[in-house]
Amino acid sequence: MAIFDEFPSMGRADLMDLKKGIDFAFSDFSRENGEAIEGFFDPLMFFMVWFEKLLMNAPWPLMILIFAVLAWLGARSIPIVIGTIISFLIIGRFGMWEDTMATVAIISVATFLCIGLGIPLGILMSRSNRVQAVITPVLDIMQTIPSFVYLIPVVMLLGIGKVPGLIAVCIYALPPIVRLTNLGIRLVDKEVLEAAEAFGSNYRQKLFDVQMPLALPNIFAGVNQTIMMALAMVVIAAMIGVKGLGVNVLKAVSNQYLALGIMNGLAIVALAVIFDRVSQAYGKRLQKHRQGGHGV
Amino acid sequence: MNKFVKGLAAAGVAAAMSQGAFAACGNVTIAEMNWASAEFMANVDKMILEAGYGCSVEMIPGATLTTFASMDTKGVPDVAPELWTQAVEIPLKAALASGSLHSVNPKPIAGAGEGWVVPDYTLVNHPELKTVLDIIEHPELFPFNEDPSKGAFVGCPAGWGCQQVNANLFRAFDMEAKGWVLVDPGSAAGLDGAMAKAVQRGDDYFGYYWSPTAMMGKYKMQMVDFGVPFVEMDHWTNCITQANCIEPQQSAWSASEINTIVTDSFIKNNDPKAVAYFGKRVFPADEMGEMLVYMGDNQASGSDAAFEFLKNYEDLWTQWVGVQAANLIKKSLN
Repeated sequence: MAIFDEFPSMGRADLMDLKKGIDFAFSDFSRENGEAIEGFFDPLMFFMVWFEKLLMNAPWPLMILIFAVLAWLGARSIPIVIGTIISFLIIGRFGMWEDTMATVAIISVATFLCIGLGIPLGILMSRSNRVQAVITPVLDIMQTIPSFVYLIPVVMLLGIGKVPGLIAVCIYALPPIVRLTNLGIRLVDKEVLEAAEAFGSNYRQKLFDVQMPLALPNIFAGVNQTIMMALAMVVIAAMIGVKGLGVNVLKAVSNQYLALGIMNGLAIVALAVIFDRVSQAYGKRLQKHRQGGHGV
Repeated sequence: MNKFVKGLAAAGVAAAMSQGAFAACGNVTIAEMNWASAEFMANVDKMILEAGYGCSVEMIPGATLTTFASMDTKGVPDVAPELWTQAVEIPLKAALASGSLHSVNPKPIAGAGEGWVVPDYTLVNHPELKTVLDIIEHPELFPFNEDPSKGAFVGCPAGWGCQQVNANLFRAFDMEAKGWVLVDPGSAAGLDGAMAKAVQRGDDYFGYYWSPTAMMGKYKMQMVDFGVPFVEMDHWTNCITQANCIEPQQSAWSASEINTIVTDSFIKNNDPKAVAYFGKRVFPADEMGEMLVYMGDNQASGSDAAFEFLKNYEDLWTQWVGVQAANLIKKSLN
């Protein structure tokens, strides 16, 4: 039968009308609401501009000192601190200091934004199976949809620059923190909760004094993953006008500049390794302190 | 005597025929390049040569370098409607000098090339802005969203050849001191998106783009005259296009050279009227832009667009062909 030979697809004209309809509807939406949405993000943008300038203009020895202190506070490990200092010295020596600071700025803001949104969302998901059933597929979409697809509407709505870049990064980097917060809370032993109830804990006390502390190692694994994924998005964000190391990688790709590509690529790797070791070590230390881990 | 007169008359008719539309146009091969405007032009040429001059046209797909190499060495295809000649400058010069190739039209698309653009309504709302020199005095009209006290000039994505030119011209026009920021859009998608977003909102926009493109046509962008002449080629190639240009001078953008190039055998063996058609065939920037938008919006092929063009822009193309050919082409469209 003919119908099995070829899929009965919509006609060319109908399909075209459908696509045009969606495009025009989005154009109209963007024309009417774009300015308001942009205005909503303005404070965030000015903060990011300020923060980036701060990191770029601060004297480099001070910045290296701050990074070293942060690494020590996080990891309490001399090798990690020394590794951090050497990495930043090499980055500076190879002329990538400013780009690296721009990247650190957007990654930090993205990470804090993702934590600020992700942990409450994860808590919400852990409270209700229905919420979890709704949010999980959304997270799946966020993690698997090709980034280029959402760059188009983001740029149409917000133009190019830091805020659209930040949104693109967060769409990809938000899911792990949400998932692992949810998982961490759900993994807390029922007996522990029963004990807390027996002592007369109310809802708030159970959440903040029992479940959250016990879930911290998982939550920290989520933070770690979020940082890693945000760094992975640096090059994509550069495609919509975010300054930093990603711009040089794009430049290298379009001109076959091997050395430029490798140097900037390795600088991103160095940042990733530092962030990863420090946040993992911090997570492990939390686990040790609490003695309540349930296997991360 | 009678026979002689008849014979003479027959010869006269035959002679008249050979002067007419179907004179000596045989097989013609036209290069159909792999981008929209060239595909469209090749198809317009095909339809006009076939319907108006009775040629039998075959399309040969190609790209700038491969098509030129084939024309240069083998004389096939006969016609390259839109050849960007800077890419093949040296061998083309040699071929033109030796007479194996001819340029029959030095500017088949008016206003083609790279430059600095603004939306048409910016020029209407601010009639005082006539050249780049005027625009750069008014950064306040094009506020940069990250620092509204400055004007945004959207340049080329990092890594493109034009990025260096924009950066050097930005310095040459002293735009930083005048309150401008050179914005790097990051990628082609970023550049297109920034422009599309601004024009859809009706915001003023100032940046780099090139023509003929669907983007220029769709958003009705206008290339702005620089208000200064082009500096000599030497300074352009050795300084303005280079990263280490110490003192770039103000200059208009280097003109992109597009030619319609034909082989010697095409000129020798074909109807001179068909050859003359190529000389007159100049697409104005606006009409070219509209056809590219048509192609993009409808995912139309070059031949669809050529048909649409011949149907809707009769006033334009009838100036390129003789009355007789025009009538034949009109007939073929029905």
